[in-house]
Amino acid sequence: MNEESPRPPRGRRWLAYAIAALVALGLGVYAFRLLPDPAPGSRDSGPLLAVSLPDVDGHPQSLSQWRGRLLVVNFWATWCAPCKEEMPMFVEAQSAHGAKGLQFVGIAVDDAVKVRQFAKEIGLNYPALIGGYGAMELSKTLGNTIMALPFTIVIDPKGKVVLTQLGPVRPAQLERLVADFL
Amino acid sequence: MPKPALAESLLRKPRHVGAPVARAPALVGIALLVLEIGAAGAQVKLLPTEEAFRFSARALDARTVEASFAVADGYYLYRDKLRFSATPPEVSLGPVALPAGKVKEDQFFGKVETYRDRVVVRLPLDHAAAGQAVTVRAESQGCADVGVCYPPNAQSVTVTLPQAGAPPGPLIDANPPRKRWFN
Repeated sequence: MNEESPRPPRGRRWLAYAIAALVALGLGVYAFRLLPDPAPGSRDSGPLLAVSLPDVDGHPQSLSQWRGRLLVVNFWATWCAPCKEEMPMFVEAQSAHGAKGLQFVGIAVDDAVKVRQFAKEIGLNYPALIGGYGAMELSKTLGNTIMALPFTIVIDPKGKVVLTQLGPVRPAQLERLVADFL
Repeated sequence: MPKPALAESLLRKPRHVGAPVARAPALVGIALLVLEIGAAGAQVKLLPTEEAFRFSARALDARTVEASFAVADGYYLYRDKLRFSATPPEVSLGPVALPAGKVKEDQFFGKVETYRDRVVVRLPLDHAAAGQAVTVRAESQGCADVGVCYPPNAQSVTVTLPQAGAPPGPLIDANPPRKRWFN
């Protein structure tokens, strides 16, 4: 009944399809970008929790002992000023929320002597594990592809990686994590 | 009977207006793409250490190598963490005079000197011969203003010392810039 309307020339139809495809692509890309980064949630905390490193006294400590807590694993070094800058905030948060289940663990890309000295300086109240340069490689396998510090991974009490971050943790981020998971 | 009329018009019209109707969402789609690409570019994207601190060197004459770092915008190197060495071992480096850096008051390290943009250092060679290949190794450590630091890193360049009276050799990059599709 509507055969009287002339069909548009073939070229025009192809153009319309091409534009529609482009629209779909644009919307798809946009929707994909709107999704939260799928990496942290889907990344398994297993390999990290299986890690065992010596503490400043040389005793091996396995990260799995803190399973079930809101675990903040912070890769740092004494040669890294931004790392040292954020650590007093971690010390504060550890004493404020430790009883509720917050657990910081520092992995130092450094040697025990320097770590022990700095730990004393700031009154470190959470474990500092000595990783040496190998810890840098470990962090790379966990998403620190640029291999810079500080690098922080947060594992929720269920064992899910909920944050993977290169660069300092903002106070608001920490507050949000505590509010969301404790 | 307004409804059939409307249905008829809907049935009839699309073919005529198909392309023009598609244009508006197309524009929206393209605009979103552009916006997204722009937003991705605005995000802090950190460079790998060899790209943040590009090391290069050239032989000035049979006794001198000029080493330089091109420091990317927003990054800096620590002066007291710069170390140079040369191989073969018989080509020993003479005393190296590092240029003064920009003094920065650091909460933990006190007064530290940093280099930004570009730093050029002359390395005097002892017991070197014209025509000889010399490898210069630079150890450096630096940070980005966004609040991350890179571990100490070593980069090497091999230069050939020119004959007496010959012009300086070419500038050689330790890590030549890679070609990229995006950036």
